[in-house]
Amino acid sequence: MNKLKETLESAFSDLQVSIPEDDRLTIIAPKDAVLSILSFLKSKGYEHLALVSCVDWIEEEEFELIYILSAYMQKDDEYTDKEKTNIILKTRISREKPECTTVIPIFKNAEPYERELHELFGIHFEGHPRLTPLFLEREYKIPPFRKDFDTREYVKKVFDEIPFVEDKIGQT
Amino acid sequence: MDRNQLAKWLKAPAKMGHKYSLHAVYFCTGCGIIEVPPVITARWDAERFGVIPVATPRQANLFLITGYVSVKTLKAIIRTYEQMPEPKFTVGFGSCPINGGMYWDSYNTIKHLDKYIPVDGWIAGCMPRPEAIFVAVTHLWTLIDKGMADGYKRYRENYKYYRANQEQLYGTLEWPPLFPIEDKNE
Repeated sequence: MNKLKETLESAFSDLQVSIPEDDRLTIIAPKDAVLSILSFLKSKGYEHLALVSCVDWIEEEEFELIYILSAYMQKDDEYTDKEKTNIILKTRISREKPECTTVIPIFKNAEPYERELHELFGIHFEGHPRLTPLFLEREYKIPPFRKDFDTREYVKKVFDEIPFVEDKIGQT
Repeated sequence: MDRNQLAKWLKAPAKMGHKYSLHAVYFCTGCGIIEVPPVITARWDAERFGVIPVATPRQANLFLITGYVSVKTLKAIIRTYEQMPEPKFTVGFGSCPINGGMYWDSYNTIKHLDKYIPVDGWIAGCMPRPEAIFVAVTHLWTLIDKGMADGYKRYRENYKYYRANQEQLYGTLEWPPLFPIEDKNE
């Protein structure tokens, strides 16, 4: 894994690569470098995109996108501990204008993850073929997974406003 | 057949038929459905009580809501409930359909199921044990005997209010009203 770390640091500038635990490699990268890092890692054998996730850092006014990669079993003596390694790629985008380029050209299975993030965090992925609703039935003014979405106020406004049928019968 | 119940059978055969052939629609919501496979299979054997799962709502008359109901699932629940032939009985299973349970401040889970469809009985608990389903079924027998399991009648009578609540949640509904809605104000 140290070898991979050195290769990454030599191939890309302004990356922060660290190994916080065994079998885990964390890369903190700028937004523009994500595509090239992912394609580089894919060429190195990390072909499985396990997750695309997002964290809302509201005080820093930034979203953090997280890509988790791992490798399938294969006979390759260059990185012997590759099968066990998880690679976590983190990048920050601004909260004001949440836009990012899609990674579908490299990993096709990123499509539902990016749709989910578009729906729950309101992040626009450029080049995504269909950013249509995935899970939710209603429309929300603020996407519901953002930190400034007030669930209690929303519940009061929407679900608690609906009257009990027994009360309605009592009124008439 | 129990000889003690012979008088009941002769008096109201249809009611006794409803009681001992509760066919549950196999509709899964939330986490409570994990309790249902042991209930219907050999361990607890729900068929002792006449409860069997059926594949389609057209053949069913018992509707178990087995857990939290998201806004999207409620749409399917309403459509399934409206397809079931009368008489039909609804039982809310677990604390989430009662008042939201642990999802009481969720952005996407409805809090009170009985605002949208009528419910005949509740099983409280998170999760209720499989035995609780049988307690509920025997309670439901008592209610049917006394004519108190009248959710489907209430739905027919107060359909205006139920439909209004459903429309308030969804804006517009894609299906026409089940019963004619007459506006008494006009």
